[in-house]
Amino acid sequence: MRWSSVSASSALLALALAALPGRAETAYVTNQSSSDLSVIDLGQGREVARVPVPGQPAGLAVAEALGAVFVVSPETKTVSRLALSDHALTGRLTLDGGPIGVAVDETGGRLFVSDWFNARVWVIDAGRLAVTGTLATGAAPAGLALSPDGRFLVTADRDADALTVFDAGTLAPLHRIAVGTRPFGLAFSPDGRVFSADVGSNTVTAADPVTGQVLGKVPTGARPYGIAFAAGRGFVTDQYADTVTVFDAATLAPLATVEVGEYPEGIDTSPDGARVYVANWFSNTLSVIDAASLKVTAEIATGDGPRAFGEFVARGRPTCATC
Amino acid sequence: MNLLRPFFVLVLLLLPGLAQAHGPTRQKLTLAVDVAAAPADVWAVIGNFHDMSWHPAVFSTTGEGGNDIDSIRVLTLGQEGGPTITEQLTKYSAEKMSYSYMITEVKVEVLPVTNYSSHLTVTPNAAGGSHIEWRGAFYRGYPNNDPPPELNDEAALAAVTGVYQAGLDALVQRFGQ
Repeated sequence: MRWSSVSASSALLALALAALPGRAETAYVTNQSSSDLSVIDLGQGREVARVPVPGQPAGLAVAEALGAVFVVSPETKTVSRLALSDHALTGRLTLDGGPIGVAVDETGGRLFVSDWFNARVWVIDAGRLAVTGTLATGAAPAGLALSPDGRFLVTADRDADALTVFDAGTLAPLHRIAVGTRPFGLAFSPDGRVFSADVGSNTVTAADPVTGQVLGKVPTGARPYGIAFAAGRGFVTDQYADTVTVFDAATLAPLATVEVGEYPEGIDTSPDGARVYVANWFSNTLSVIDAASLKVTAEIATGDGPRAFGEFVARGRPTCATC
Repeated sequence: MNLLRPFFVLVLLLLPGLAQAHGPTRQKLTLAVDVAAAPADVWAVIGNFHDMSWHPAVFSTTGEGGNDIDSIRVLTLGQEGGPTITEQLTKYSAEKMSYSYMITEVKVEVLPVTNYSSHLTVTPNAAGGSHIEWRGAFYRGYPNNDPPPELNDEAALAAVTGVYQAGLDALVQRFGQ
């Protein structure tokens, strides 16, 4: 009885997974100059849809558990929510200030959006798209990220040359960490350290969100912007060098420099860590890098001015209804 | 400065029809021309980071470091004692006939941009001549919401367009088309 019940539900699960729309590994790329979103099937290696998003969008965050991608348009000061299934607009919120970056707490159903002009983060209910509070940061917060275990929210406060660490549960500020000059993008490594790309000092700074201590620095190419981790390595886009700097995530030793398109910005990885995706703002392409061989294996056309500032790859994970 | 005046006239002419911009959006611009001369001949004229004399708005180029990365040049515009732009070399390839640089210091009254970076590249064209491409990436001069018209996105684009166009026009005049 038990066994048959288990196998029946397994069969149902298999059916449910098979019935999921074919969006295993999809990139959603904000095109700032053409004010739209490129939907790129990474399996096929091509753009499969182009969705208009007004207001020159830059920041975004894919939230598969919520079936949505959240997009920030600084010109119109709006956050748009689009369904991953059919790219339909399911909500829009207008803010007062300079919204730029966004991170999503899928479990808590919250968004965090940085306010570039007013040194704060908006806390937003992801379902109602309503502001529920604000958090004070250093000057000009840009990138933000949640730790893999959900304990910490961190902002890169560009004009304060610092990171602000918050308790993601209580939203209390915990640490202000001095990093390199003008940190913009940031990311957590899988083991829970936080890394900032310091645009002005051409460094990546590694820090411990628990203690608030700096752990080390990595030299990068000119104007580092975004960071991602795959295969035990860190990957950093260097805007002015048209390269990606690769470093050992454990030792922080520089390993290689990979030539990509012009003005590389947003960077994210495939779920298995086999590939790294880079949005080239000037070239209007997405470069695909093999994380092991460090070769560029494809260039995929996007709209005009791809920035993809945030987590932009849907990893094809089952949603909570099926997991 | 007199030579720069046309750029500002251009800006003023363009302004009335333009909407006000809001928020921090980076602008990009690519201007290109084809000329009759071979790429090597064009590169011999424009490929030295410390000689910008081919541009009609530039009175003098001073600085040190040659064509090495991080080399700094100071462009004096128009005439002796004119406004200056300080620029730093970020990439250089004689083989690819391309160099990239950024502005490290300029008053927005001189060029209404911030965070400006640029590439200048020469490639062969099908006719045996050269394709010269000048690309820029920059933000407007006013970094906050609600910029004054002379410091908005359109003003930044118009000003950089004026600079590139004047330089490329001079190269067409020099090398023929």
